[in-house]
Amino acid sequence: MTAAVKNAQLVAIEQSGWGQPFRLFQPDNLAFWVYTVGVGGGALAMLRYFGPGADFYRPALTGGVLLFGLYLIPWLLLLRHHNRYTAQPGALLATGFVWGGVAATFWIALPANSALLEIWTKIGGTQFAADWAAGLTAPINEEFGKALGLVLLIGLAPRLVRSAYDGFIIGAFIGLGFQVFEDVLYVYNGAAQSFGVDQIGSSLQIFLIRGAFGIVSHALFSAIFCAGLMWVLGRVPGDRKVLRGLLTMLAAMVFHSAWDSMSGIAGGRVLLSILLPFLIAAVELWTLFSVLRHAARQERVWVRDLLGPEVEAGVVDPALLAAVSGLRRDRKAFRKLVRNRRRARHLVEAAGDLARELALAGGHETHRVAHARAEVVRLRHG
Amino acid sequence: MSEQWVPVEHRFLGLDRRTFRPALIALAVALVLAYGLPALNVAIPWHNEIKAGAVLDLGNGATAVPPVGWQLENGTLTGASPTSLQVDLATGGATIGLRGASFTGSADAFLDQVLRSQGSQGVAAGRGTVTTDGGLVGVAQSSSSPSGDGVQVAFKMSGDVALLVRVRTAPGQFERYQDTVSAMLRSITPGAGR
Repeated sequence: MTAAVKNAQLVAIEQSGWGQPFRLFQPDNLAFWVYTVGVGGGALAMLRYFGPGADFYRPALTGGVLLFGLYLIPWLLLLRHHNRYTAQPGALLATGFVWGGVAATFWIALPANSALLEIWTKIGGTQFAADWAAGLTAPINEEFGKALGLVLLIGLAPRLVRSAYDGFIIGAFIGLGFQVFEDVLYVYNGAAQSFGVDQIGSSLQIFLIRGAFGIVSHALFSAIFCAGLMWVLGRVPGDRKVLRGLLTMLAAMVFHSAWDSMSGIAGGRVLLSILLPFLIAAVELWTLFSVLRHAARQERVWVRDLLGPEVEAGVVDPALLAAVSGLRRDRKAFRKLVRNRRRARHLVEAAGDLARELALAGGHETHRVAHARAEVVRLRHG
Repeated sequence: MSEQWVPVEHRFLGLDRRTFRPALIALAVALVLAYGLPALNVAIPWHNEIKAGAVLDLGNGATAVPPVGWQLENGTLTGASPTSLQVDLATGGATIGLRGASFTGSADAFLDQVLRSQGSQGVAAGRGTVTTDGGLVGVAQSSSSPSGDGVQVAFKMSGDVALLVRVRTAPGQFERYQDTVSAMLRSITPGAGR
């Protein structure tokens, strides 16, 4: 093994922080205390909000929690699938999810949105506010409120949160937390606005509308915004891209604003109001995948460097390396090459396991590394 | 172990000073959003005074004439779009809120539903009838509590829509606004199809 290849592997382990444990409870870390104040404040605000009407609106609340709880499952499976390359630990992602759901929603967005909506009404009048206030409020308060969770996670796990892809995945989890808790809030508000008439029906209606639009909502906004924030912060040597980062953050805010200003943009034109959601969703998804591809570059380099010595030793062949460190199209090409979808998936997963074990072992030889390597060899020759 | 050990030169009041930057940035932004914006909102006065001749659009052709000089904090006037069944008017010590909701029953049943959703609202008086100039009949119930006096009036509008008018004043101030409130209640029209 050449020294350069081994050195690149060690640099990749050091820079990515892969394998570092995550602990939320860090009493000597100020970020832990700010996180606790935020989530505590959010929990208190949530109790104050739901508490007085919890008994009367129980059917709506129960329906909302159950429906959006189920709604979470496919989302978590999708995000787990994308938590690839130097994957983030589940506890860190859960910490982000809780910030998004409790602190960003109830501690920050609830009072900040009420205030800013009223400020726009005072400045522009009720007509202006009806058309544009939501679009000028939520993208500011909510995108920054959610992104604070990422900033605190940088304080709590500085070695783990390094690349734009880390920001992308963590942002998606923070956004998902925000989205689901806000959806339950909408269910409650919907029931309160109709004074409790047909609570189950109104919660089902809100579930269908918010659930459908949720595909291109907060999880997506925050994934884009937080990837942009990571480019601005540039926490990997040579990966600081301020302009790209700012434009990416701005794009997330513009998308958020477009959804919230739909009636103002459509201006009463029926055809436009029907087409607009699909148009915005298409542009959003194109942007999302573009950001994902760019954000993944650094992570892909790390995975390639991590497995470099294994390629030299002939354990991992170049095609498998391209698949395990590649994008969807690379994995597809590998499947074609292997001509067995199941075997290709197993090989990619086993190579991923080997990369993870190497990172956990700090590049040293351990029993787990040897076992992961033996698994790759077994599958290749199986 | 070495990861968790805070070197002495980085300690401040038992905390790791290296964690201050992200934590304080996050705290500062959160405080500006959660407390700064509400404070700024309080400092900005309302300048959305109802002028003579203004008419509130309650949707589906329903209207109401708001009291001149009160501030329109929520809702739209006729000629604007979109219409809203959420209207808030305020003046010194009183507020008037109008809320529309889908409801198939009578005005009396709607008021029952509203009161159930609100729980206890102080001492309630008996129900009375309110008839608008257009002949729309509503059901009113006044209440009094240490936090203020008020009246809630329910109307059945056109279609399956019910309207609640909720008036709140500071304690002992209701009499002062009674004529203004009565004039507004009398001005409510039910809208198309009725």
